[in-house]
Amino acid sequence: MINSRLFFKLSFLILFSIPLLLTAEPTVDVGKTVFKNYCASCHAKDMKSKLTGPALGGVEERWADYPRQDLYDWIRNSQKMIQAGHPKAVELWNEWKPTVMTAWPNLTDEEIESVMLYIDAQANKVPETLSVASGGGDVDSTENGFGNWIYWVLLGILGFLALILTRIVGNLNHIATVKEGGFAERKTLVETLTSKSVVSFLIFAAVILGGYLTVTKAVNLGRQQAYAPEQPIKFSHETHAGLHKIDCQYCHDGARRSKHAVIPATNTCMNCHKAIKVGSEYGTAELTKIYASIGYDPSTDKYIEDYESLSQDEVESIYTKWIGDNIKAEKGIDSLDQTGLEMVQEQWTDLVSSLTNEQKKKVQGPIEWERIHNLPDHVYFNHSQHVTVGKVECEACHGKVEEMAVVEQHAPLSMGWCINCHRQTEVQFEGNEYYDSYENYHEQLANGDRDKVTVEDIGGLECQKCHY
Amino acid sequence: MSNNNIWVGKQDLVQEENFMKEVQNEMHSVSMEQVEEAAEGIQANRRDFLKFLGFGIGAATVAACDTPVKRAIPYVVKPDAIVPGVATYYASSYVNGGDFCPILVKTREGRPIKIEGNDLSAMTKGGTSARAQASVLTLYDTNRYKKPMMKSADGMTSSSWADFDKAIKSKLSSGNICLVTNTILSPTAKKVIAEFKAKYPSTKVVTYDSVSSAALLNANESCFGAKVIPNYRFDKADLIVSFGADFLGTWISPVEYARQYATKRKIDNVSNPTMSRHIQVESHMSMTGSNADNRILVKPSEQGVAIAYLASKIVGGSAPKVNAKAAKALDNVATQLKANRGKSLVVSNSNNVSEQILINAINNELGNIGSTVDLASASMQRQGDEAGLEGLINDLKNGSVKTVIFNDCNPVFEYHNGAALKAAMGSAYKIGLAYNPNETISSCDAIAPINHTLESWGDAEPKKGSISMIQPAISPLFDTRQMELSLLTWADSPNVNNNADQPYFEYLKKNYQSGAGDQSGFISSQSYWEKLLRDGVANGKGSSSVSAFSGNVSAAFAGVTKPSNSELEISFYEKVSIGNGTLANNPWLQEMPDPVDRTSWGNYLAVPVGFDGVKRFFGMTESMNLQDGDLVNLTIGDKTVQVPVIQQFGQMPGTVAIALGYGREMSGACANGVGVNVNDCLTSNGGYTQYFNTNVSVSNKVGKEDAFSCVQYHHTYGVTDEDKDGKQFNADEEALGMAYGASGFQGALTDRSVMYTSNLADLPKSIKKLDKKRKFAQHLNEQTLYPFEEYTENRYSQGHHWGMHVDMNACTGCNACTISCMAENNVPVVGKKEVSRHHEMTWLRIDRYYYGDVENPNTVYQPMMCQHCDNAPCENVCPVNATNHSAEGLNQMAYNRCVGTRYCANNCPFKVRRFNWLDYTTADLFPANQVPINGEEVPYGADNLTRMVLNPDVTVRVRGVIEKCSFCVQRIQEGKLRAKVEGRRLVDKDVRTACQTACPTGAITFGDLNNKNGELNEKLDSPLNYIALEEVNVKSAVTYGMRVNNRDTSLDA
Repeated sequence: MINSRLFFKLSFLILFSIPLLLTAEPTVDVGKTVFKNYCASCHAKDMKSKLTGPALGGVEERWADYPRQDLYDWIRNSQKMIQAGHPKAVELWNEWKPTVMTAWPNLTDEEIESVMLYIDAQANKVPETLSVASGGGDVDSTENGFGNWIYWVLLGILGFLALILTRIVGNLNHIATVKEGGFAERKTLVETLTSKSVVSFLIFAAVILGGYLTVTKAVNLGRQQAYAPEQPIKFSHETHAGLHKIDCQYCHDGARRSKHAVIPATNTCMNCHKAIKVGSEYGTAELTKIYASIGYDPSTDKYIEDYESLSQDEVESIYTKWIGDNIKAEKGIDSLDQTGLEMVQEQWTDLVSSLTNEQKKKVQGPIEWERIHNLPDHVYFNHSQHVTVGKVECEACHGKVEEMAVVEQHAPLSMGWCINCHRQTEVQFEGNEYYDSYENYHEQLANGDRDKVTVEDIGGLECQKCHY
Repeated sequence: MSNNNIWVGKQDLVQEENFMKEVQNEMHSVSMEQVEEAAEGIQANRRDFLKFLGFGIGAATVAACDTPVKRAIPYVVKPDAIVPGVATYYASSYVNGGDFCPILVKTREGRPIKIEGNDLSAMTKGGTSARAQASVLTLYDTNRYKKPMMKSADGMTSSSWADFDKAIKSKLSSGNICLVTNTILSPTAKKVIAEFKAKYPSTKVVTYDSVSSAALLNANESCFGAKVIPNYRFDKADLIVSFGADFLGTWISPVEYARQYATKRKIDNVSNPTMSRHIQVESHMSMTGSNADNRILVKPSEQGVAIAYLASKIVGGSAPKVNAKAAKALDNVATQLKANRGKSLVVSNSNNVSEQILINAINNELGNIGSTVDLASASMQRQGDEAGLEGLINDLKNGSVKTVIFNDCNPVFEYHNGAALKAAMGSAYKIGLAYNPNETISSCDAIAPINHTLESWGDAEPKKGSISMIQPAISPLFDTRQMELSLLTWADSPNVNNNADQPYFEYLKKNYQSGAGDQSGFISSQSYWEKLLRDGVANGKGSSSVSAFSGNVSAAFAGVTKPSNSELEISFYEKVSIGNGTLANNPWLQEMPDPVDRTSWGNYLAVPVGFDGVKRFFGMTESMNLQDGDLVNLTIGDKTVQVPVIQQFGQMPGTVAIALGYGREMSGACANGVGVNVNDCLTSNGGYTQYFNTNVSVSNKVGKEDAFSCVQYHHTYGVTDEDKDGKQFNADEEALGMAYGASGFQGALTDRSVMYTSNLADLPKSIKKLDKKRKFAQHLNEQTLYPFEEYTENRYSQGHHWGMHVDMNACTGCNACTISCMAENNVPVVGKKEVSRHHEMTWLRIDRYYYGDVENPNTVYQPMMCQHCDNAPCENVCPVNATNHSAEGLNQMAYNRCVGTRYCANNCPFKVRRFNWLDYTTADLFPANQVPINGEEVPYGADNLTRMVLNPDVTVRVRGVIEKCSFCVQRIQEGKLRAKVEGRRLVDKDVRTACQTACPTGAITFGDLNNKNGELNEKLDSPLNYIALEEVNVKSAVTYGMRVNNRDTSLDA
């Protein structure tokens, strides 16, 4: 009932908000979209830390002395304002040059206002509480709850009807027996429920249900759909693939040429993170982990010589310095106060626990991720077959990874799931001479006897396509 | 006698009752005691069972609740050359003493897992040997030395390299040094030794070979002025006469010789067939002898006079006496040799200089020098002379040598006088540069562990001017250092930078950049070096300064071995698998059956099969009547050992033979105590080790071997029946006619077509006969209500339809394919006891059949693997559909579906399905199933180090499932994918099975039957082809090519 109540509340909220969305009134949601599309590549999402551009938190206050229009102009074309000699613009330019803010002449006033709302919301957000994205998930679950609930009600009603009917039939029988002059002792409800037939029926039902559950559960043993473990680094696909639109195969470069998609080596991360040294979400907390893994000193922008053989204390001093310096820069202080030292210590402890385990005592060396997609050892799966030859999109099996802050297993990865896809998927006959050897199919396709060739048609359901 | 006059062994030949019963019984009945014995590790009663049951359910429940955390560990900095999941190949070489094979090393995620041949090599053109194939397993030998060790008060203690080097250097500077080594093929290593000698001028280098060719080298020096092995050209010889030289199996360069030999043995043009003739003169049937057209039997001590006899017929001189039959045959051979001037080749393994001079004289007289015997690009594969060892013993005795360095060799075990060496070296300081323990190294004072070839840099010059590269495929697994670098370090060489990442690599590179090798035709040393690294081989031209033949022939006639008049003689031979014990600790090679006698795990005394001329056969003599597996006391000189017996067809009466290299004591778990050591029974003549002994006697049966591990009688596919009295007989037409008074018994079971052979002269007749038989079988197969043709047409007419062709004329039985198959498909090793219980797991076996003359038969080898029948009897009987057919014609086996009824194995006409009786791989989830196998704590190959050799693309099978040849389906899938990714049609070279790539003679061709222009369809055109058991209508995908011999019957008379 709680669920349904919540559902009604939420649907009410949503219904109420639809007209709002339809109008051009500035909203946080619109602001978020705009921010993601235009601003996020240079400005930190937490609105508190500096990235390529300044932290946007409190931007309205900083521009409060000038007309609102000036802020709009600044966003639409900052260079023009600097040349015009606007005092605030010149001040900013002196602070940030030679970095130039990209001009966004197409942004409407409403959009900019929305961004301001979003900035406010983000800047004043109490960390780790209400997240904007979680609302949708709740609605989904209530819907499911509602679906189940309806069934339970129907079942209840049916059960109730059955009970009444039994009662009526019982009564009628009783009346009939009495009418015929026979003597019949009426069974009480308790007696009926504990009668031999009911008990044996219940046992029978329990066995059937138990058997069914055992089989289904046993079949599901080892399957881990929706498995979303916490990883040693809070790497967000949402940021990388979603926000920055980095192609999946930039990092997972095995997918096109190997059986493994490959978890990228740390040096792949370094391609970008040599430059982007402070994260938008966690600042130095997570990114320092990759530096500590590979041995890159972000303070000096150099790889550390003979990193493998450094002692843990030496490693600690390098990276705590980096973390501390960042905190100092952020707070604008010269030396760390007590809270600052605690923050450094906290980040370092987290780093050590993420990069070490019982087998791996040193911080240096590979990052041990938790494997999400596991196939049993007797299954052979090849990414390049699917990605390069079959031209299957990554999302087909992995879901919308670009929306996952924490990656979870989207597909069940069960044999039935594989088989089903092989039944339905059309083979990429076009433009691949390999398939020329399937002459009959080509002929049938040409004269219209066949509209497509599925993986099944070329033997995709056979045991030794995957098991050998 | 079975049909076609073909038999596998004595029992088969005489239709022995017990044998026939055993053959009939697919699964080989195991007695209750054996079962109990096997189960002794479990000892579970009912309560335990309930406990296990409870635990099982509990475990499953817990497993269901909690997702086990698996880690994915990426590289920190990914090497450019590695893509996880994609194999990388490195060109390198297999070198073990003088044994050499250019190879490609397949690595996955940095682990070498498989050896392939290097087809850029002019020597082998991609062929390999069983030894080269198995070398990858030696890399993961658990018995390896892992750290430098020095003798101290409390035994051997490990030390750091720095301390070790310091200690060694102080020892080296005090007193004379002797470096004992096997043949060194590497020119750079020789340079290293020269540097070492410059630093320590007292150093003497003693080179010997585990099986000696010293007389051949010295004879060539005296005849041609060059102490080399000639470059023999078996591909140019129409007539090959070999006196005891096992050139296809073990002698000098078998992979190369087998390839050359096969080019003259394959029949390409059926209408005008030609092939070389091969005559083997020997007493024990060697692998080469089994391939010969004619064998002339002489006793081991008679071999010298046999050579002299032939020489006298060719170069003149007085003919010594040989046995009458051999004399007559040799007269004939001499005539034929004279008719083949310049196109014949006479070789011998004799370790007697005079005999080798006579061989040279024969070849010289026949004009073979320069054609089939090429001295210009001479072979370097044998350089040893055991005279050096004898000298060393003297030097040690008189104290003139204070320090001995053993370079990964084992003279104490291999040298016939090894005991004397061991005694003499007692007080000297002994340094072992060693890979794994052996009888010599284990008595060393300091052990400097060396790298495996697959962890080392190096080069090899197997032939003058031809360089082959050795490059590491993995960094050293343990704290080891290659021999060259150790010597350079001890010599304080200024040319090596020990601070470099790979010091010896720099040294080697410098050597080539300063012009080593035959760099003519290269614009720079750099380009030569790069080609070496990329191709692995640089086939240069050799130039030796050789003079014309100048051997002292008349003295040589006097110097040949005097034949003994002893009643019994024994010859000692080297096995194709383990050599003279150097590879004894390799379980793949231990389990590999000997090609000829088909025994594994031990050396068996080969005794002749006596024949009373009627139909009775007996082992040794009629009164002794030794049976296979009988234990006898073998007395050689004053040594008596107990050995099991195997009856060997083609073994000369009055002779016996036994393999060297067994009975190791200080090797590893796999070699120690397997077989008996007979190296100390070798004799010496003029300083040359003689591989026979005339002072020998064999006792009567003294017992029965516990685990008789001969695989010849396992998985035979005879069809038998019972007559009215319940007696077993072979169900061929003749026998059935006698039993039931019927003839033409349905046709199906009679006249089984397992093996077809022909003499070259009878070829047209044989082809006609074969054609008639095939037509008849096909006619019978067509009498069906089932529209099979139509079905096949629909099913297999497009895409791929895989098939194989095996040319039995090219197959020499070397077993390279079986080891390659084991490596590729993670086939487990089961051990001696399990082999004796018919439990060997090999997916590919090489059946050996004899045919023709029972006293001196010909031999044929038939590689037998799953035939991938399109009408497979195994598929129909599987209750769970675990084995079924693919649209590409593959007989698929899904291990996870298999419940182990073994109906399929029972129904397989070819007996190629193997059942995992025990948990050979420890892949089973439940520890209770892991019974100890052969008393081992961990089964062979199931420890974590050895598991590194496993092919990650092939499932490791658990206990209780059937497995069999898959036509290397992982390679098929890989090849198809390669073609798909590149968007082109599949070609032959995309998919080559493991057995095919390993074969040195190209006997196996795999391909797509639907590819009309492919190699396979080309092979299938030959009228020599047949399908095994075609009449049972299973529609095999494997076609065999008839074995044709070129036997000259006039030699038999």
